Amino acid sequence: MNNFLAAFSMVFAPDVLIAMFASAIYGLIIGALPGLTATMATALLVPVTFYLSPIAAIATIIASSAMAIFSGDIPGCLMRIPGTPASAAYTDEAYRMTLKGQAETALGICLWFSALGGIVGTIALVLIAPALAEIALSFSTFEYFWLAILGLMCATLVARSSPVKALAAMLIGLLVSCIGIENPAGTPRFTFGLTDLLGGIDVIAALVGVFALAEVMRALTQKEPPEIPERKLGSILKGQIELTKKYPKQQIRGNIVGTLIGALPGAGADMAAWVSYSLSKRFSKEPEKFGTGHPEGLVEAGASNNAALAGGWIPALLFGIPGDTITAIAIGVLYMKGLNPGPTLFTEKASSMYALYLVFIIANIIMIPLGIMLIRVSKYVLKAPRSLIMPIIMVFCAVGAFGAAGNNLFAVLVVAAFGILGYVMEENGYPVAAMVLGIVMGTMVEQNFVTSLIKSDGSILPFLSRPIAAFLAFFTFLALFWPLIAWMKRYRAALSPA
Amino acid sequence: MKLSDRITGVVLALLGIAAFYGGSRLPPVPGQQVGPNVFPMVVGAGLLVVGLLIAFRIGRSFEDAAEAEIEKFGGPDHEAETYARKRRWYAFLPPALMVFYYLTSERIGFIPIATIMIAVLAFALGANRRLILPVAIVGAIVIQVMFVKLLRVPLPPGLVPMPW
Amino acid sequence: MDHLSRRQILAAGAAAGAVGLGLSPAEAQAWPSRPVTVVCPWGAGGGTDQTARIVASILERELKQPFSVVNRTGGSGVVGHSAIATAAPDGYTIGMITVEITMMHHQGLTELNPTSYTPLALMNEDPPGVTVNASSPYKTIKELADAIKAAPAGKFKASGTGQGGIWHLALVGWLQAMGLAPNHVAWVPSNGAAPAMQDLAAGGLDLCTCSIPEARAMIDAGKARALALMSDARNPQFKDVPTLNETLGIKYSVGAWRGIAAPKGLPADIQTKLVAALKAAYDSKEFKDFMASRGFGVKFADPAGFASFMADGDQKMASAMKAAGLSKKS
Repeated sequence: MNNFLAAFSMVFAPDVLIAMFASAIYGLIIGALPGLTATMATALLVPVTFYLSPIAAIATIIASSAMAIFSGDIPGCLMRIPGTPASAAYTDEAYRMTLKGQAETALGICLWFSALGGIVGTIALVLIAPALAEIALSFSTFEYFWLAILGLMCATLVARSSPVKALAAMLIGLLVSCIGIENPAGTPRFTFGLTDLLGGIDVIAALVGVFALAEVMRALTQKEPPEIPERKLGSILKGQIELTKKYPKQQIRGNIVGTLIGALPGAGADMAAWVSYSLSKRFSKEPEKFGTGHPEGLVEAGASNNAALAGGWIPALLFGIPGDTITAIAIGVLYMKGLNPGPTLFTEKASSMYALYLVFIIANIIMIPLGIMLIRVSKYVLKAPRSLIMPIIMVFCAVGAFGAAGNNLFAVLVVAAFGILGYVMEENGYPVAAMVLGIVMGTMVEQNFVTSLIKSDGSILPFLSRPIAAFLAFFTFLALFWPLIAWMKRYRAALSPA
Repeated sequence: MKLSDRITGVVLALLGIAAFYGGSRLPPVPGQQVGPNVFPMVVGAGLLVVGLLIAFRIGRSFEDAAEAEIEKFGGPDHEAETYARKRRWYAFLPPALMVFYYLTSERIGFIPIATIMIAVLAFALGANRRLILPVAIVGAIVIQVMFVKLLRVPLPPGLVPMPW
Repeated sequence: MDHLSRRQILAAGAAAGAVGLGLSPAEAQAWPSRPVTVVCPWGAGGGTDQTARIVASILERELKQPFSVVNRTGGSGVVGHSAIATAAPDGYTIGMITVEITMMHHQGLTELNPTSYTPLALMNEDPPGVTVNASSPYKTIKELADAIKAAPAGKFKASGTGQGGIWHLALVGWLQAMGLAPNHVAWVPSNGAAPAMQDLAAGGLDLCTCSIPEARAMIDAGKARALALMSDARNPQFKDVPTLNETLGIKYSVGAWRGIAAPKGLPADIQTKLVAALKAAYDSKEFKDFMASRGFGVKFADPAGFASFMADGDQKMASAMKAAGLSKKS
């Protein structure tokens, strides 16, 4: 109890509150700009944390990353330009809602369910962190291999178009992930002798290219659209409470899946959003509405996204193993501030841990009013003439990718190339989101496959004999053959009435 | 840039063959049963198969079904399609401007190049001509200040260093 | 805005340009007159990144200009190292170079080698360790070494970094010192120390050869056990961990080091200023406290010392990598 009171006084110190508030606004703005991500927001905060007290330092990272993950949904929703690979999973859905004049509702979902997800994830962190961490630690490369394959399978489930084309797009993404030297053998592949390609294709630059730049390209072939009619739906929050009542199962499933996947080092929020969105579609009573501006999938993916963010802190705090790129940076800050990760953090520094929990909860609560303010403001983007917004976005694409890639001018060329690729793919019915998934997961699939085989001396038996691996393998095959089964069903249905 | 499934399918199949061949030439690594060649070869073979499936229009029924459903929410617009066909080459202006930025920004500097990029694209999008130049200049300066001052991303000053 | 004429806007634009030109900072001004970029070839949050950031923050205070750390990652360090080497030698881009610069060119990954830079200062060196799972039957390094010697080649699996990385070489060197073949213990490449430690804890590996500070959280969590340090002396932060020399009588030590360097051709006056500031940073309490709290080793060398340190390391790496079959150069 004393620890708890001490935690309160630590968090409610003026410097911590000011740092949190300022970094929350900073995170919201960075996340909302196309091409700038939550990871970048966090990395840029590191020098600032030098001058802060330990709790304030961690609070800035927690607050800014939670805000940036949410606000990364804003350009995705309003202009079909997702801010992070995580939001790429449901960008189309949110954008279609905007086209129907429901931008506020769509953004409200992202905000409300993100905040709820964040709080549930924190509660999991408080109550069952050690148990979850044990599960995470029982994952060896065999389990990660199946997990990655399962993640890839989401590509065909999420896509609205032909699963064959989704598969093709995903394979292109996998091929892109081969580029560079970042493979288990440490051998340069498809680099054509260019040093810039040795590092591989930067995921953010590719994402900005296939979504943002391609959208700018499309704008040139379309007349200025008539202003989207606005449907006033009253308070943003009121609608959300109704949705919470309507989709309780989806929300809880999203929270659970998000926390679990987030707690697995190396999986993270990107994968959580994809898996949750496809689970939602798979178990929905009205899967045909997915992709047309239907809130159900958004609820689940949004709930999962931020739960994963909190879940990612579990292995980070207990074992110093990053759950995602954000916690990778946060671990550095923890060490720098003398809060060395490990179980002793929970016992010897218990008051600091309680303070961290409080920071998590507060960050997710202040996200709601701040987010509503940002939604109200950002809506005006839709009112501005497209012919002036698009050129500005294009410049953001260039400098955002440049900054995200560590000030590498080569990233600008990557954006241009992927802009063309994304544009041509989209025009011909190849879902670009599936390609992004391929780029994100490719390294994980190969790394875990190769290292597993080295460890098993070439035998594939451990891929199936370890209990969790077998369980994951079963689901993988189910997902793998699902499109085939569905296709046969449809084929038969099409034949029978004739 | 609408192409027939036959063309995109064949292009994918060729890409698959190239990846397979490129992968097969990678040297093995001692101590690894699965070398760096395997993954690109598997992906290449997959692309070949999928490309051929697409070329033979397998799985097309899904797309037709999806298109039909989308049409319920606003059908095809023939006028828009003609417009898109007429302007299809304009679509390649943004990537061209990115390459222009890559080639010139270091030497000339961020602000003039960004101004030119914004102005050219706004013009191509048919913006109000009185607004083009002010928006371009103000936009470039605001982005420059934001990145250089707030995010500490060093954008090239070039010929026109800013007083801040 | 509509009532502004085009001519007015053009005039305003021209005026803005003129003002900009007029106030352009004179090149003759004393360095540093604008922010300096510090390139870090490794990811944010890692040991190199943290060391770079603490050094940058002290340089910022010493030299009164922002020193911003930029993570130019990828290509197992090649991309970042080449970004430092190819930058303009004007003192506005420096970087943290790491042990990989003495290794990559032997693998044929790049032409860059230690002589491609203006060395400024060596800041740190960490020796490799030997870590096993907490439930491993091997309680001491001697037991582990005997088990490895008795086992058939390839039975034991080790990890810690990618194929041909510094910890891989450490393993090879240790095996050779025991008179075993370089591949007697199979190397499982990983994306760095953290995933390797995770796999060690998950029971997927027999040992890890990453440095002890990198393994620390898992050791503290009771999931892993450090058996030995491959260095001349014990680490005061982990004083219970013996060295290989004390236990097995093997005098083998390599280390991962980090230092600050600039592109080749840096003007001498800038170099003098930077080295003085780096020395001050190294001697500062903040730097020492930070490195001690992380368990990182500190080691300083001035430009001449750093250059000969790297040349010496390059020689050692050349023979070690050749022996391990990792060198592309015959």
